[in-house]
Amino acid sequence: MDPLQATLLFSGFAILLALGVPIAVSIGLSALLPLALSLDTDVALTTLAQRMATGLDRFTLLAIPFFILSGQFMNRGGIARRLIDFARALVGMLPGGLAFVNVVSGMLFGAISGSAAAAAAGIGSFMLPRMEEQGYDRNFGAAINIASATTSLIIPPSNILIVYALASGGVSIAALFMAGYLPGLMVGGVLMGVSGVIAFRRGYPVDERVRAGEALRRGVAALPSLFLVVLVIGGIVGGVFTPTEAGAMAVLYSLILSVGIYREVKWRDVPEILVEASVMTSIVMLLIATSMAFSWVLAYERIPEAITEWLLSMGGGRIATLLAINLILLVAGTVLDMTPAVLVFTPMLLPVAVGLGIDPVQFGIIMVLNLCIGLCTPPVGSVLFVGCSVAGTRIGATSYALLPLYAGMIVVLLIETFFGHLWL
Amino acid sequence: REDSGTRRIKLAHGLATSHPVHQAMVYFGERAELHSKGTLRVEIHPSEQLGTEREAIELLQIGSLGMTKVSASVMESFVPEYGVFSLPYLFRDDRHRAAVLDSEIGSEILQAGRSYGVRGLVYYDAGSRSFYTRDRPIHTPADLIGLKIRTQESPSAIRMVRALGGSATPIAWGELYTALQQGVVDGAENNPPSFYLSRHYEVCKFYSLDEHTAVPDVLLVSTHLWDRLTASEREALQQAALESGQFQRELWASATDEAMRSLEAVGVEILRPGKSLFAASVEPLYEGLSGSPGVARLSERIKAMR
Amino acid sequence: MCQALRRRLDRILESILVILMSGMVLNVLWQITTRYLLGDPSSVTEEIARFGLIWLGMLGASYGFGRKVHLSVGLVDEFLDSRIAKDHPLRIGLELVSLGCVGIFAALILVVGGSNLVSLSSEFNQVSAALGVPLGAVYSVLPISGAIVLFYSGLQAIEISGRWRAWGGEG
Ligand code: NA
Ligand code: NA
Repeated sequence: MDPLQATLLFSGFAILLALGVPIAVSIGLSALLPLALSLDTDVALTTLAQRMATGLDRFTLLAIPFFILSGQFMNRGGIARRLIDFARALVGMLPGGLAFVNVVSGMLFGAISGSAAAAAAGIGSFMLPRMEEQGYDRNFGAAINIASATTSLIIPPSNILIVYALASGGVSIAALFMAGYLPGLMVGGVLMGVSGVIAFRRGYPVDERVRAGEALRRGVAALPSLFLVVLVIGGIVGGVFTPTEAGAMAVLYSLILSVGIYREVKWRDVPEILVEASVMTSIVMLLIATSMAFSWVLAYERIPEAITEWLLSMGGGRIATLLAINLILLVAGTVLDMTPAVLVFTPMLLPVAVGLGIDPVQFGIIMVLNLCIGLCTPPVGSVLFVGCSVAGTRIGATSYALLPLYAGMIVVLLIETFFGHLWL
Repeated sequence: REDSGTRRIKLAHGLATSHPVHQAMVYFGERAELHSKGTLRVEIHPSEQLGTEREAIELLQIGSLGMTKVSASVMESFVPEYGVFSLPYLFRDDRHRAAVLDSEIGSEILQAGRSYGVRGLVYYDAGSRSFYTRDRPIHTPADLIGLKIRTQESPSAIRMVRALGGSATPIAWGELYTALQQGVVDGAENNPPSFYLSRHYEVCKFYSLDEHTAVPDVLLVSTHLWDRLTASEREALQQAALESGQFQRELWASATDEAMRSLEAVGVEILRPGKSLFAASVEPLYEGLSGSPGVARLSERIKAMR
Repeated sequence: MCQALRRRLDRILESILVILMSGMVLNVLWQITTRYLLGDPSSVTEEIARFGLIWLGMLGASYGFGRKVHLSVGLVDEFLDSRIAKDHPLRIGLELVSLGCVGIFAALILVVGGSNLVSLSSEFNQVSAALGVPLGAVYSVLPISGAIVLFYSGLQAIEISGRWRAWGGEG
């Protein structure tokens, strides 16, 4: 692809988005433009249709509808309220207490399920309404939820580190997993710090300290709801269920609890809840399908190679080159989905990084940290899409609320880039 | 499309660049450029960058990819004749296998893809496949009962695992590590280099060398592309493919030895079960071939070959 | 007439979504049951779940176009929000452009590209590995959902052009 086509591609995309064309449609049409220039139009159309369908044909996506659906039952069935009441008794007196709860549950859930999108769906759909009730800005809540969900890709187990290991052809997955813990926890810590400051400055309400007896009472009331957490996390960690199966069990259990035991949901409401969960799921699925097609076109046209060669040809010392690599990955992450980005950039950038004395394991973490930020940025970011979809917020406003969190994540990224070798 | 007299051919496959079969394809690209005097240039996209093996075959049929390398097993859903390679214990030994692939029978099967839009150029050796498992060593077929085993996306591969008592689950190669780790499947089966290079040994500690099948890889070219080539370009491509096939056999032999040594070194328990129980369990697969007479005839001819 | 047809289509799609979503849950629960209780894990649940997700995702997305739930950025719209009325021809024109893009996407990629894909898979008789279902049937959700998107977009275009006429009448 020549520079003219690349310019056409990106400016066409920007114009479509600005005009208010749905993001999924903008992505799909922008993918069509360059492909139709290099192939027969009919072949280009058929290829894009195939890439959309196969983009959805992955078992790692299967957990998403289930966690969205169980989130709906938890919300409407009083499960979420009981869980949050209990959490508030523990940390509600801290500024940004609910934001901390969101970050920690996002990290925990994501770390276990290994899917950032599932974490954003599962945690967001029950946390956000409670945060809003307590006076939090909806966009701020969505932003916290989105950013904290990405820690699941750094804290093991992580699908994406496996993809990196395969693409690099020889980096130990076990070593990558070990190297992921600390940066993952750092991201979580930084997110809590930033959200604590924001909550304090905006004067979000703080609960009064709860007496031990009351905390205990709330804990007991939350026990059946807590068992859901035990079921999902224990089931996955204990090897009883796969994450997808745990999602289906979560649906079954939250259905029984909200319809049969708490009786806050009636049987006749169930079809409507199923439709709502299907719609939320498919908003995300259409975005994933078109972004997979888009990423495919970029790889097919070798656009990432062209951009990388150009940036690296500018020269500069070790620090400048490392910063350039991070810049390439950050920019790529804004428009590329994570898996295609890792598959495409690993063979290109890993040799450069190794030449600069970076350990391949450390480089894997650097790459994933960069692309995690990309997952939360417009125009293409699957976790941003899921987070906005479950929150019912607009991409623009939520991205604005994400700005301080991006800054926090970039700080961790720079620490990992320049000091990551210390904790390999 | 052409620009300034050279034709770029996109070759996509699912292996990492460290895999010997990838290196054979790099060699293929060099030879094709040489034989065509620079009019053909092969661009390789490795690591499932452009899709899984099954998806890549579809892209050849659609016409957006020029070439791909897939396992003959995955070809079976597209071209039934390839199903013969998924028959367990089809070949007597490595020499028998090499002879069959080089013979008239081998090229007949490669040609059979033409009417499905995918023409075979050459076979790459892929050794023999054996089971590897997470928690339970496989000594006899009975040990497979109740285990979910990942199979290639092919009906006969599924039938074979079922005949041995396992529960077959087709999953794309690139998703397998996660699937093993999450327990979506309890084990898989493959040749030593693939088991080693995919690092599945980090999850699966038992490798049972029952050597049930020997399914080769195939280098395919889209008929959309083939029909547009000049006669000399076709010859150059075919010649380069055959040369890369010869080269690949040498690479493969040393990669297999190295993989076995490395697997032992990292502590994988290697079992060498007797093959007779396994062979007996899959006997019904040959009896069941009456439904596909084409494959039955091919298997008889292969067995009869000296 | 159009509105009645639309409500009819809404109800049908809602029912299909309910069936698909609950079917996917039951399918995975069945997978757990066969593994633990029957001791014989099923080989087909994985494929059913994957194909189910493709259908759920695409049909749900087409239904979502009817309800205008898809995410957008829309900087121009936000800019105009505080400056000119919702019914100004410029805003209506913008809506029509956006709707046109949705229509082009649905017509070209989903309907034309999707139908090509279906006919190619059927011509070459492709079947899925575990279930043995024709892949053409799996892919057929693309042209179907494309047609649904076109129907909803057409209705919305009629609605918008009605507002356009109303504005012209007043001004
Ligand atoms: Na994780
Ligand atoms: Na992004």
